[in-house]
Amino acid sequence: MNNTSEPNVDAARWAPEQSAPHQAVLQRLQALLPAASVITDHAGLRPYETDGLTAIREMPWVVVLPETEAQVAEVVRCCAQHGVPVIARGAGTGLSGGARPHAQGVVLGLSKMSAIEKIDIENRVAIAQPGVRNLAISQAAQQYGLYYAPDPSSQIACSIGGNVAENAGGVHCLKYGLTVNNVLGARVVLADGSIVELGGALYDNPGPDLLALLCGSEGMLGIVTQVTVALLPTPETKAVLLAGFSKVVDAGNAVAEIIGAGIIPAGMEMMDKLAVQAAEAFAKAGYPLDAEAILIIELDGAAAELGALTEQVTRLLRANGAYQIDEAHDASTQARLWKGRKSAFPAVGRLSPDYLCMDGTIPRKALPSVLTEIDNISQTFGLAVANVFHAADGNLHPLVLFDANEPGQTDKAMAMGAKILEACVAAGGTITGEHGVGVEKLDTMCVQFTSAELEQFFRLKTAMDPEGLLNPGKGIPTLTRCGELGGMHVHNGRLPFPELERF
Amino acid sequence: MAFDAASDLIDQIKAAGQRNQKLLIQGHSSKRGWLASSRGDDVLDLTSHQGVLQYQPEELVITARAGTPLGVIEETLAERGQMLASEPPCLAANTSRSGTLGGAVASGLSGPGRPWLGAIRDAVLGVELINGAGEYLRFGGQVMKNVAGYDVSRLQAGAWGCLGVMSVISLRVQPVTEQEWTLSGAMAAEAAIDLCADLGRRNLPITANCWYLGVLYLRLSGNASGVTAACESLSAVGLNRTDAVPDLWRQLKNHEHRFFHRENASKDDSTSDTIVGSRPKLWRVVAPPAAPVPSFLTTPERDLLTLWSGGLRWFYHDEADAVLDYSRAVGGWCWALGEAMPLEAAHQQIIQHLMAAFDPHGVFANPLGLGPKAASTFGGGAS
Repeated sequence: MNNTSEPNVDAARWAPEQSAPHQAVLQRLQALLPAASVITDHAGLRPYETDGLTAIREMPWVVVLPETEAQVAEVVRCCAQHGVPVIARGAGTGLSGGARPHAQGVVLGLSKMSAIEKIDIENRVAIAQPGVRNLAISQAAQQYGLYYAPDPSSQIACSIGGNVAENAGGVHCLKYGLTVNNVLGARVVLADGSIVELGGALYDNPGPDLLALLCGSEGMLGIVTQVTVALLPTPETKAVLLAGFSKVVDAGNAVAEIIGAGIIPAGMEMMDKLAVQAAEAFAKAGYPLDAEAILIIELDGAAAELGALTEQVTRLLRANGAYQIDEAHDASTQARLWKGRKSAFPAVGRLSPDYLCMDGTIPRKALPSVLTEIDNISQTFGLAVANVFHAADGNLHPLVLFDANEPGQTDKAMAMGAKILEACVAAGGTITGEHGVGVEKLDTMCVQFTSAELEQFFRLKTAMDPEGLLNPGKGIPTLTRCGELGGMHVHNGRLPFPELERF
Repeated sequence: MAFDAASDLIDQIKAAGQRNQKLLIQGHSSKRGWLASSRGDDVLDLTSHQGVLQYQPEELVITARAGTPLGVIEETLAERGQMLASEPPCLAANTSRSGTLGGAVASGLSGPGRPWLGAIRDAVLGVELINGAGEYLRFGGQVMKNVAGYDVSRLQAGAWGCLGVMSVISLRVQPVTEQEWTLSGAMAAEAAIDLCADLGRRNLPITANCWYLGVLYLRLSGNASGVTAACESLSAVGLNRTDAVPDLWRQLKNHEHRFFHRENASKDDSTSDTIVGSRPKLWRVVAPPAAPVPSFLTTPERDLLTLWSGGLRWFYHDEADAVLDYSRAVGGWCWALGEAMPLEAAHQQIIQHLMAAFDPHGVFANPLGLGPKAASTFGGGAS
């Protein structure tokens, strides 16, 4: 019924400055908010033209920075009345273009709603406005011995509202879950400007799980104005292990055996040779440069349980061919071992003028075969790949190295990235583990979902946002777009005509 | 493969749609008494739609058809030292109809470990869903991290089938821990709730607690050295190891505990109450864990059982208004077992719009008692 993700607005046909609805909206916004919170000048709009996916840019029509939920609701209501798109934006650190502006739309920045309203130690929750930085929650809870578990690598900057919108992950997801598993409640402004409260400091809620639906919906179903998150006791002790392997497959087997032995590490990261070499050159973390793959494993918990656990993991690593194992029990050595991994992206950035970070997730068992496949793709396209892998939860971040100044390389890198994601889907995985679809992965969505599934997504969207004004054009590709791509649908590893060779 | 096995279901849904009939999705009917009854023109029977399709312990994922008995899932996992962390209830656990995987997800109900081990919705990784038009759709998958498309899979938790019928479900599973001990100590309900809040801020391998009949029970699970050390440290707060009720947590999970069967609770109890349809009413109240104990309960040690550090309170009480006022005042919600699930008007409206998206002609009868309603253009907010 509604096969378009473009905004269903007449206003979009005209330039905003000549469109009566836009002028009516602007007038209302200027009456509603202080002058400094309604940005219309070119220089002021400039910082909003992109999010963390800087390859894709668009100047917004207007940016507004409301300070209260009532103002957010009024902005949305007013835009709804006049058919003007609204693009919610947190800290702008998203990696998939989820907050890319719309030339005829209002960017609704939530950065001024940055208060932590309450740290409720009795109920172990924090209540935060959407613009609060992820790390700020843990910092505020620290004095009570509590913290907020999900820690996306951008946690210094990224906002909790954006985390909800993208269902952000991090390196500790296997043990502590993603955003969706740690958010207990939210207040949400819906597409018509009405406000709804979901959950609270509560462990379950009646009816279909609307809160889960909201998580990862990229600002397309509603705009979060308050979030209630669970807080956990800060782990008493931590141990970090670094293991070097001379074969990637051995490292993969070690991961499977550790999990098969009933151990859920707080974090378990794998890096391949190129990533290790880049990280070591950058961070001097002490990684073995001759290793084909390394594992960084973090174990945490009460002091009493950690000793036995560390021994058990060390045994399993050795049994699977780790030729070097370093153990870190003090904070500074642990920080050094992590530093290499945490700076892997900028480190790879030094190897090459540009890189594209992919975000596929695969069943852990498929790791060796997918890495081989990525290697083949890399050779076919003639672009190098460094692999960084959240081994614990199967989330793979291949970094495709390219030079945007070389004609055609950007397109080549994008096409190569898409091939890698197809390989992830073919292995039974998914095109995005934690970065979101945004605009970046609209095309690969055609690979993962059938047209019936995409249509179901559109009907869901229409149910929540009948006019399609909340972050239009993101998340779900139109059937037309998929048709034009002639995209091959791959599902659960079953390619149509698997006996045929494909290039 | 899964699609072929579901073709009977699809045919039945399409036929019902053509005849304008309503189908009642049915597994084991083990939760029949929990919600107000709903009627269909015909039953969509899921019980023969069963079987584990994929299970690899080191992937921490099990994929099975929705009609698979929960008992089968639990046994399959136990053989490999794993479990469903959310401990969904197997009601009538000693019968062959103690609940299906689909029913466990559709009801969204989680067991005693919910605050520590996650809810059933947290474990849902993917579903294969048949919508009201008989379309077979796959959402999510078998991997933990997946943000491709809207999270239609977890949306099914608590939907009681109002958004379609799940055919295949993938759940995250968890290793069984090396050692599990139960501790107990006598104290009043208020003191138990305070203590649970304190313990919740400490590094302890707590995975469940329960207050009942003037005693706080605490479950510790983890590796042997961690559990033993925690147990030693907890004697300082009056909690000591007990084997008095060896299968307490199973009883609580499966609602076999005598609290839920009042006729067995005490011989001097003049009434012979059962859970459903008789007095006094049994309430399930979800509240912020540290909320005060309701003052209208004159004999909390007999009428109240708390789980989740106080976040879940079961109690017997007749005055619905008092319970409603209390739940609202503490910021929680209440549900009288056997009656309709309480839904706020704003949530009801969203759910009805979603139903229009998944089942526009209302083929699926559902115990939430709602029908699809198409979202109008700016229904409330704008002119």
